[in-house]
Amino acid sequence: MTRRPSPLQATFSPAKVVVSVACLVLAALVPFIYPSTYGTGVLVTMLIFTVLNLSWNFVLGIAGVWNFGQLAMFAVGGYGGGLLIIHASLPPWLAIVAGGVGGTLLAVLLALPTLRLVGIYTSLLTFAAAQVVQLVIQNESSGTTGGALGLPSVEGLFGGLDPLWSARAWYWLVLAVVVVVCAAIALLARSPLGLALRTLRDSAAYGAARGIDPRGHRVLAFAISGFVAGVAGALYTVYNGSISPTVMGLTPMSIYVTMIVIGGLGSITGPIVGTALVTAVQQALIDHPGTQLTVLGVVLIAIVVFMPRGIAFEAGRVRDRVVTWMNEEEEVPAAPASPEGRLVGSRKGT
Amino acid sequence: MSDILSILVSTVVLGSIYGLVALGMTLIYGILRVLDMSQGSMVMVGGFVGWAVMTSAGLSPWLAIVAAFAATFCLGVLTQVVSVQPLIGRRGTDFEMITFITTFAVAMVLSNLALQFFGPRQKNVPELVGGSIHLYESVSLPYQSIVMTAIALALMIGFALFLNRSRYGIAIRAVAQDLDAARLMGVPIKRVFPLVMGFASAIAGVAGVFLATQYFASPTAGDQPLLIALIVVIFGGLGSLQGAIVAAYAIGLIQAAASVYVSTTWALPILYGVIVLVLIFRPQGIAGRSLEARL
Repeated sequence: MTRRPSPLQATFSPAKVVVSVACLVLAALVPFIYPSTYGTGVLVTMLIFTVLNLSWNFVLGIAGVWNFGQLAMFAVGGYGGGLLIIHASLPPWLAIVAGGVGGTLLAVLLALPTLRLVGIYTSLLTFAAAQVVQLVIQNESSGTTGGALGLPSVEGLFGGLDPLWSARAWYWLVLAVVVVVCAAIALLARSPLGLALRTLRDSAAYGAARGIDPRGHRVLAFAISGFVAGVAGALYTVYNGSISPTVMGLTPMSIYVTMIVIGGLGSITGPIVGTALVTAVQQALIDHPGTQLTVLGVVLIAIVVFMPRGIAFEAGRVRDRVVTWMNEEEEVPAAPASPEGRLVGSRKGT
Repeated sequence: MSDILSILVSTVVLGSIYGLVALGMTLIYGILRVLDMSQGSMVMVGGFVGWAVMTSAGLSPWLAIVAAFAATFCLGVLTQVVSVQPLIGRRGTDFEMITFITTFAVAMVLSNLALQFFGPRQKNVPELVGGSIHLYESVSLPYQSIVMTAIALALMIGFALFLNRSRYGIAIRAVAQDLDAARLMGVPIKRVFPLVMGFASAIAGVAGVFLATQYFASPTAGDQPLLIALIVVIFGGLGSLQGAIVAAYAIGLIQAAASVYVSTTWALPILYGVIVLVLIFRPQGIAGRSLEARL
């Protein structure tokens, strides 16, 4: 009988550590392979959205709470961080953390009214609340948020460096954030907390009967993902030096949802893969801006219909097949399903 | 007095248009368990069809309404076949959530195709009929509003008759009540589902022509009607037809009153605030039939 590996061991198994470190080294070297300020800037933006998508996927895919108001946490983190830098002259580093705190507060506030709701009603409530946040920011007339024009001229980081090195410094900073967030979410997903969240996602009644508190866990899932989304928002503001209400709304939401679903809802690496792929598509079509969303929409439908668990899951399945094939001569029984596969688990049928 | 009168006039007009869009959404949800996010795009497409027929081709507005109905009917059937039908009965996915996402993708595709073909500029669409009746002081009631309200009411009544009397209407209601029983009684599910989305979309398309004559035809013309229709269907109780119609006029009243007494920019945040409260305290809406057990 084999012992179940601890969350730490499962997350940082030797093979995974080797692959992850190799990927990380490659990722860290990208700014040298591609020495352009514009290109590095695109990658920084992509990584910031990866942070947002990781947080969104945690609550949407892993906890299974239909939260479609994540952009409100992103915006509150962004505006909160920006306002603190402008009015309280907080150093940008601290403002980024403060953005996370702002995101957490809003997330908890948003979680409380959803506790009575299930399914589509949760998504409608969170979506409506996000609309309120966006419209309030946009219509606010005392000049605090800058209305539709947004919050301008926020002091940034790395101002002393030349543009290329500043872009590179940003790239490494946000890459580090992505790594920390991804590792934390991977650990959390395999921890007792993650198991409880997935249990509640797959069968709320069973989870509650086993003594898992559905409400407490839902608030906790919101709070964790709200913190990360707030950090992403503050990073966005500090990086761009400004933020406007256009970061929210239907179009941005559809792009992020596309990224998450294409990558694989509920998998750990899905948001990273999805964000990278969608960014690549957007960049490839940059000369035909009108076609970007059309292509993304078609791809999204095709992925949902033909590859419902996303690209990360399919990639894991291919890897498993290779592993099985390699092990065949040693007469080893079928390889275990990929962790992504297990993580997605079986949702209740319809 | 003139305030109250103008609020009432715009309540009736707004309520009728919202009612058309919300009717389709709530019907689709009641029967297919799909919260169809592409309904806003049907409004947008309807507006462009109206513009093409009335302004480009210079034909009669009545023809525009019929053309918009037909075009969005086909589009609705297509949407169902492409983005909903393949997902029915699939294991391992959450149907409601995944169709929420796919219909959203359809909306994305449609509004961006419109953006490419017609450009971002707003297109003026002529009124259906000119002239107005003077009511009181500065308040007047355009014939246009009367005609739109009349057509909207006629469509709603016609739809109710269709659902209650016709063969297909009864089949649709049977499916809404019990899918398996309906299937066992020989209702052709595969034909009923696309038909429902087709009709719902067609009604939204007609609403689109009306909205375009009130405002403009533009690629983003469907966004606000979609958001308001969402508010209406929650307020009315998802899946309830009567609830949606009552709620449409209630929401129209709240919006009109908020525009007059507070300001136009705050009308929408106030609506969302109302809906957040409704979801917190009475998630089943005003229809009073709790749908939660069915989720």
